[in-house]
Amino acid sequence: MNRTIKALSAAALLCTAVIGCTDTGVEPQSTVTEANIFSQPGSYVQFLAKLYAGLAVTGQIGPHGNADITSNDEGFYNYVRNLWVLNELPTDEAALAWGDAGIQPLNQAQLDPSNPFITAMYYRIYYQVALTNEFLRQTTTAKLNSRGHTDPTLVAQVAQYRAEARFLRALSYWHGIDMFGPVPLLDENSPVGATPPAQATRTAVYDFVVAELTDIIGDLPPAGPGTYGRASDGAARMLLAKAYLNAGVYTGTTHYTEAMTAIQAVIAGGYSLAPVWRNNFRADNHTSPEIIFPVTSDGLRTQTWGGTTFLMHASCGGSLDNPTWRASAGIDFCWWGLRLKPEAYSLYAAGDTARTSWFGTAGQTSSMASLSNFNNGIMAPKFLNVTSTGAAGSHPTHPDTDYPMFRLADAYLIYAEAQLRGGGGTQAQSEAYVNALRARGYGDASGNVPAGMLTLDTVLAERGRELLWEGHRRSDLIRFGRFTGSTYLWAWKGGLVGGASIAATRDLYPFPSSELVANPNLTQNPGY
Amino acid sequence: MKPVLQIMSLAGLAALCAAPLCAQETGSVSGRVTDQATQQPLSGVSVTVANRSALTRADGRYLVTAVPAGTHTLQTRMIGYAPAPRSVTIAGGETLVVDLVLTGQAVDLSEIVVTGYGEQRLGNVTGAVSKLTTEEFNTGRIISPAELIASKAPGVQVVDNNEPGGSLTIRIRGATSVNASADPMYVIDGMPVGTGAGGGLSVAGRDALNFVNPNDIESVTVLRDASAAAIYGANAANGVVLIQTRAGSRGNTTFEYTGSASTSQITRTPSMLNAAQFLTAVQTYAPGNVAQLGTANTDWFSQVSQAAFGQDHNFSVSSGTDVTNWRLSLGYLNQDGIIRGTNTERASLGLAFGQQLFDDRLDLRTNLKLTRAAYDFTPGGVVGNAAQMGPTQPITDAASQTGYYEFPNAPSPNNPVALQSLVSDHGMNLRGVGNLRAAYRMPFLPALRANVNLGFDIARADRETFTPSILASEQKSGRNGNLYRNNQSQSNSVLETYLNYASALNFMPGTVDLTGGYTYQEEHGEYPELNLLGLSTDLLGPDGVPQALTTQNRLFVEDYKLISFFGRLNWNLNDRYLVALSLRRDGSSRFGPDNAWGTFPSLAVAWRLSQEPFMRGISSVSDLKLRVSRASTGNQAFGNYQQYSTYTVGDGQTQVQFGNTFVSTIRPSAVDPNIGWEETRATNVGLDFGFWNQRVTGTFDWYDKSTSRLIFTVPVAAGTNFSNYVTTNIGDMNNRGFELSLAAKLKYGPASPLAWNVTFTASHNKNTLTSINPYSPSAAAQEIPTGFVAGGVGTTVQVFRPGVPINSFYVYEARRNPDGTPVWATGAGAQLAMYVDRDSNGVINGNDRRPFHSPAPDWILGLSNYMSWNSFDFGFTMRAYTGNYVYNNVASNLGTYAEVTRSSPFNLHSSVLETGFETPQYLSDYYVEKASFVRLDNISIGYTLNWGGQPMRLFGTVQNAFTITGYSGVDPTAGLNGIDNNIYPRSRTFTFGSNVRF
Repeated sequence: MNRTIKALSAAALLCTAVIGCTDTGVEPQSTVTEANIFSQPGSYVQFLAKLYAGLAVTGQIGPHGNADITSNDEGFYNYVRNLWVLNELPTDEAALAWGDAGIQPLNQAQLDPSNPFITAMYYRIYYQVALTNEFLRQTTTAKLNSRGHTDPTLVAQVAQYRAEARFLRALSYWHGIDMFGPVPLLDENSPVGATPPAQATRTAVYDFVVAELTDIIGDLPPAGPGTYGRASDGAARMLLAKAYLNAGVYTGTTHYTEAMTAIQAVIAGGYSLAPVWRNNFRADNHTSPEIIFPVTSDGLRTQTWGGTTFLMHASCGGSLDNPTWRASAGIDFCWWGLRLKPEAYSLYAAGDTARTSWFGTAGQTSSMASLSNFNNGIMAPKFLNVTSTGAAGSHPTHPDTDYPMFRLADAYLIYAEAQLRGGGGTQAQSEAYVNALRARGYGDASGNVPAGMLTLDTVLAERGRELLWEGHRRSDLIRFGRFTGSTYLWAWKGGLVGGASIAATRDLYPFPSSELVANPNLTQNPGY
Repeated sequence: MKPVLQIMSLAGLAALCAAPLCAQETGSVSGRVTDQATQQPLSGVSVTVANRSALTRADGRYLVTAVPAGTHTLQTRMIGYAPAPRSVTIAGGETLVVDLVLTGQAVDLSEIVVTGYGEQRLGNVTGAVSKLTTEEFNTGRIISPAELIASKAPGVQVVDNNEPGGSLTIRIRGATSVNASADPMYVIDGMPVGTGAGGGLSVAGRDALNFVNPNDIESVTVLRDASAAAIYGANAANGVVLIQTRAGSRGNTTFEYTGSASTSQITRTPSMLNAAQFLTAVQTYAPGNVAQLGTANTDWFSQVSQAAFGQDHNFSVSSGTDVTNWRLSLGYLNQDGIIRGTNTERASLGLAFGQQLFDDRLDLRTNLKLTRAAYDFTPGGVVGNAAQMGPTQPITDAASQTGYYEFPNAPSPNNPVALQSLVSDHGMNLRGVGNLRAAYRMPFLPALRANVNLGFDIARADRETFTPSILASEQKSGRNGNLYRNNQSQSNSVLETYLNYASALNFMPGTVDLTGGYTYQEEHGEYPELNLLGLSTDLLGPDGVPQALTTQNRLFVEDYKLISFFGRLNWNLNDRYLVALSLRRDGSSRFGPDNAWGTFPSLAVAWRLSQEPFMRGISSVSDLKLRVSRASTGNQAFGNYQQYSTYTVGDGQTQVQFGNTFVSTIRPSAVDPNIGWEETRATNVGLDFGFWNQRVTGTFDWYDKSTSRLIFTVPVAAGTNFSNYVTTNIGDMNNRGFELSLAAKLKYGPASPLAWNVTFTASHNKNTLTSINPYSPSAAAQEIPTGFVAGGVGTTVQVFRPGVPINSFYVYEARRNPDGTPVWATGAGAQLAMYVDRDSNGVINGNDRRPFHSPAPDWILGLSNYMSWNSFDFGFTMRAYTGNYVYNNVASNLGTYAEVTRSSPFNLHSSVLETGFETPQYLSDYYVEKASFVRLDNISIGYTLNWGGQPMRLFGTVQNAFTITGYSGVDPTAGLNGIDNNIYPRSRTFTFGSNVRF
């Protein structure tokens, strides 16, 4: 009997276990969920930091690991690196020697919807958009109130963060319309999930960019050391000026007057030219008074295989790949990749010392018989990981050198161009600005443009020289009508060593083929 | 729902058994049933008297109650045994004792097979199940249990990585998954063990089951088809492997020692240019690099390889009485690898203890396994650099910092001997698995047993890699030294409770075996890791670094839970009609809220034609059974927490500069909040047959497995989620095939001194990925590239594409010269001259690639032979694959003259002499080689002598005695995915040893 009771109690225990333990929920421990992250006020600035980090790094582990977007090689598809590659390789400025998928076609302006760099750029742009939208959703007044975050200082900070986030979204949308044209427009009111968004017109997205920038300028702080690396009102005005300057390309309607107004405000914003041109590209370029909006880099704390890490390593090789030169550049090894296309090199005249003396010519041909032979084309190791006083950066692989996305020299040239295109201002001022850049390059007035001789062609050439390899060239050539067609041919354009015409449809990049699958609402750009 | 069922069945059973007790003028028959040959009790024998039946218990005892008084015929029924009818006379109110001795006819059929949560007689199994025991196991140097059954069971593919103790991958009837694991579930002595998906249980690169000493294994049972495996529900889609370890048997205390020593040699290495050929190549294609060449003649592979010594010692003590049995075993293994520096060392302790209590009502069984394994890995790059390093270069260089010669420029191959000598890469794995199983036979209802299984599986797995900063490769790459450590730990606990009712039915014909239960499984893992880059000094080696340029610390803590309810009904009518019905309901912490519970049903029926009256006359047919089943199983072997959108904090190297401060970032992840299991629905039709009292036996199975809700990471419309891809249940896959196994005892029995058994297995599987993204309008866009190869960043040579097998090679069709070599051309139109322009658009681009064969074999054949003659025994195992293809990545990466033009020249694969390629042609189908092969996996001979009244066996084995293949690379079994990129070479191993009892 005793045993029967034992048996029955065992059975009862089983039944209890059966009814009791049916909860399968296990909350993650080493990661933080949406449910609790924003209970800490410090999360807002960290989320904002991610929006900036989306330009600078590729994931949550530096220099690579836990990637933001899925690709076949995380380090290849950094925002700045993609932006740079897509704005420079198809132009007259740069060629990359490597044989990895997608590179050689880009060198030749042969664009293809399956090109991994084009694909990654598109995803990078919309990664920024999606994260910004989420940031804006999570930082509404209602959300702050619901979390009890009503401290006026915090509320004011968050208001500024929101403006910064919107600047970054506008920046990415600008890249979107500049490269892909009629892209979808998603904002913080769009649903999260997988609902494919509708395609917008290029004009609608342009209007959105202009409206957003106009709306937030007042909420952004003025430029200054405390906001280095972040969006200031100067950065927003610069972006606005760039959007207006290209409005004719984007919408068919030019806005040079508005571009002039915006750029004048930038120039009046307290920036000045760095006395030494090269200091804009050195490890301590955060001290340059000229930089309006950088994508920051730090050898120890902001590591990536894109950005200036890529620019610095890829642009050395050949005769420069020796310990002495590498030490002088503050880097540990060369990737043997980037060289100047002949046309970019030939823009410079003798005497333009500051902007040319460091070109690597030994062992190189200025002509480019082969895109993949590193010895064809002059080396232009513009970015250095040593400071203005020659001290090495904090890490030999990952530079401290920030990527100068916008700087005052660009603003000067925008002034000149907008003025010459009838946007107001004076020719004398334009010439003064252009000559300020030329004098810095030559070290004296010997290279100055004589009064009254400044033309749009001079401005384009000057942009080629002053802003070489800073990721502006493709847009510039398109605005001047020289990217496609046969007006201007350069080495390897269209796949021929002497250059060949390419169709006008190549002014836009194709939508990535993978995106056409994921979003059936998209219509491929014409010609692809 | 399930608990209610359980209670109801309990109540129902109680009512059933209560009724007969009230009847009048009845008596009982009891007794014990034993096997005539072994004298051992027989369980599960059906004893019937006057339509009243009972089954014998584990001790062979039975009790038939409520038999009407009078004279009746007592009938017995036991598969594989002759019936033993006899006349009995029952008096009312009395118990007649009748002990019975049964004579075996085809005893194989009565062999006990372990199934999930129970056992069955082999002849009554309704699913496709293979059981392998000690005699059938592979011989030689066996480190992991899975090696025991390679080439032995139909439908089971065992792929090794050639390293001593290296990872083994098992595929049962092909892979059912792409992104979740396709490895089977393992249950060891009733304890479901993890194989380390997600790490923590074992050291990466070494087999997760190394903690089980193969010498302790009694049997391995493979549940191949879904109906057999379905009782394991969401873990069963890839099949289940059940391992039983040895227990003590009744008798005197026995000591046993088995020891062996072995030596292994390298078989094939990649075919690289020799010094003279290399010099010529550099002179021709990179005259500027000639200055870097030396005058040595170095065979780098012979420098990095060795004749590997191995030793294995196993000692066990076992004993048993009627109520207690135990076995204690100690094992020590030390096995070097053929690449110098590689080693696996294992010390293992096993304890099996069984105790019967309370008049044998309570059966307690405990198994405990403790293992420490220490691993030395080949530092990354030794094999690759042995191929790439120029044969003209010397090994040492007195002038260099390390004493080893290195090329002056970068990039360059690195001296593999320097890597081997200076880099260390160690792993250590401690693992303890133990469980207690208690089965209690209810006093009020002997047919009802309550079972509890309580177990734990705890492990610690460490890995430590030290690359000194002094190494030339570190200095050239700028990494300047690296120390990496991880110290992972994981603990799993399991509670399984179930009730089992096995009885003859007295209200309807046949016997039932009814099981219902509940399981709870919990897992906790901690994964800390430390990565130091840019070492200030190499002084302390792997044990400490005073200062490093970059320090990365990471910690992940993960938990996982699996809760299940299951039930099974087996109904057996006279061993003629068999029905098995099971249902499992699994709730996993890995599933999203809308998919929290999955249900996995199974139905199998079998018809033993040989039991039918019309077959009785054909006495040569001892067994003929047709089986049909349909079942659903799941796969949840993917990462934890996939349903949670989490914010990941960036590390110290992904901060952002805000003014003068640096801010760490947080990032939301893109998820499908309702991710769930992958589901496989399978149909199996099988035929078991046996002739001449099972002297020749065989099985044939045909199956069709369709997997749906396959997890793929598919693109989402940009901007709508927090990444460009989201992982979700979306694809479909199919595996279809057939299996044949034939076994013959050509000579056996006491009449002949010669015993000779031959077993042949043949398996054919056809894998087809049915769809990746059914919502996508474009079929062509449903392609996921895979198969990354060395050479160019992001180069892939395989594809996931609907309509073809997974991992199909995806390459260009090379145009061939009349002599069969691929065309090499330069200049304008070179690509068109070299490759077939499939879409005739005048350009060779991605659209001209085509799926071209796959790494999976069409046929896997196995042949095992075992002979013994007097004191000698002799056996061998052969294996053949047909239709498997391998991509020779060593040839594609190094078979191009471009390699000598790099800043320092790399050695070339000899295929370049044939192709003349001056630039790499990674996507040429020239490198996709047919890798069909025949291999003598092992051949062994033994001699047994008398040593102090006990048998002593001396044996010798050769493993991988030969491989015949047309494949030109190192090994036609180059991993599961068929990419041969500097894989660890295969060895040939000679083992000698002895087995003694005393």
